[in-house]
Amino acid sequence: MNEERLILQIRDLCDSPQPENKSKFFQYLKEQEMMNRRHPVISHGEFLAGQLFYIGKWIWMLAGCLLLFIVWISYRHPGNYPFALTPLLAAGILLETRRSFRWKMAEFEHAARFSLRSVILARLFLLGTVNTTGLLIVILIVRPCFSYSLLRVFLYMMVPYLTASWLGSVYERMHRADQGLGSTMICILSSAFFAAVPAFFSWLFEERLTVFWTAALVLITCSLAGNLRKWTRNMEEPVWN
Amino acid sequence: MELTADRITKQYKNKIAVDRMSFTLTKGVTGLLGANGAGKTTLMRILCGILVPDGGTVTCDGMDVETEEYREILGYLPQEFGYYPEFTGRDFLLYMSAVKGLQKADALKKTEELIEVVGLKDAARKRVRTYSGGMKQRLGIAQALINDPQILIMDEPTAGLDPQERIRFRNLIANIGKDRIVLLSTHIVSDLEHIADKLMIMKEGRLLWQGEWNTGAGDLEEFYISRIGDNR
Repeated sequence: MNEERLILQIRDLCDSPQPENKSKFFQYLKEQEMMNRRHPVISHGEFLAGQLFYIGKWIWMLAGCLLLFIVWISYRHPGNYPFALTPLLAAGILLETRRSFRWKMAEFEHAARFSLRSVILARLFLLGTVNTTGLLIVILIVRPCFSYSLLRVFLYMMVPYLTASWLGSVYERMHRADQGLGSTMICILSSAFFAAVPAFFSWLFEERLTVFWTAALVLITCSLAGNLRKWTRNMEEPVWN
Repeated sequence: MELTADRITKQYKNKIAVDRMSFTLTKGVTGLLGANGAGKTTLMRILCGILVPDGGTVTCDGMDVETEEYREILGYLPQEFGYYPEFTGRDFLLYMSAVKGLQKADALKKTEELIEVVGLKDAARKRVRTYSGGMKQRLGIAQALINDPQILIMDEPTAGLDPQERIRFRNLIANIGKDRIVLLSTHIVSDLEHIADKLMIMKEGRLLWQGEWNTGAGDLEEFYISRIGDNR
């Protein structure tokens, strides 16, 4: 309030001059803007959409074949084994994040406007979204094959998938110079582990333990998010150190 | 426009790759000379913002080199690079345009223009894996120029080019360097003799000499050897 009063007082006391050469000044600014104009650039959304076409075809094919295989095996052998296949979906995602390093494109991408971090995150986001959506559709399709409720099928499919994604991303964050083979091995081992679970710990699939699976899902999702946050921070520079 | 490095230092375990280097790059072509292992590549990576120095700062008109704004005006050719296996030369340039943020119409226009400039018109639709070393290098040069960079940093750009291509490259760079900051590193003295306005000589991570160079000043190779020799 005091400030407003002060402004009014100053206005009363001082005669502010009429702006001279105003139009000339704006013309000058306009010219400067024209002189310094850069190429119009694409938005982050357009960049993300564009990256969809640069993800390796075989990664899409691998994900598609795997999802079809889960459907097929669920109808043929509706035991607990189809759940062990979902960690392999994570392998494709993690392998794709190393593509720039594998093909020595990382330095180019790092020095570009959108940088290497954006490229890797775009790939993670696109593949993660498509694969997870595909898996959710598969869960709805295969649900009648199992004697479990929809929630339990969802948990049994998602927990192995997210566990492999989390462990693989931890490995990728800690071994940046790796070509993606380590995280692929982690996904394969996770798959083998979850394949062995029904044989040795069949009681884990009892209905009373649904709470345990739900807690595991929440915990693993939070750990994965936390690890992705850490990974994003040191995704680029240390590669050359 | 000025690119200023202020006491930058980079150390790898027990080796100091860049040792307290300070300089300012202005418009024109600056040549960076030094033997293999002198620290040229590390310095260039620091100037591009892809390697963080242990000490010191690099700014461009007050703008930090790690910002998106800086990368938008930067063109960089690394010493060693690859390509995605499914790419043709044209695909590679279009991909780099996308990562550099160019709109599709601009990207297409610049791609066609640069394919012509670097003499790859006939091979543009062939897979990069079928290219010779010189063709790959020319493709690398083209990607560095695709966003009309105000700052162009090239690490050993003439490696793999035949004599005719070298002359063509020199003419191209001399033309580009008129109104931009261009930094070229090489250990081949003759590459810089006719195009560099300024020179920097590096040895074991340190800047031995920097200054203006004109062709009338004598033989650059002799000058370089004398500088390197004086420091022994």
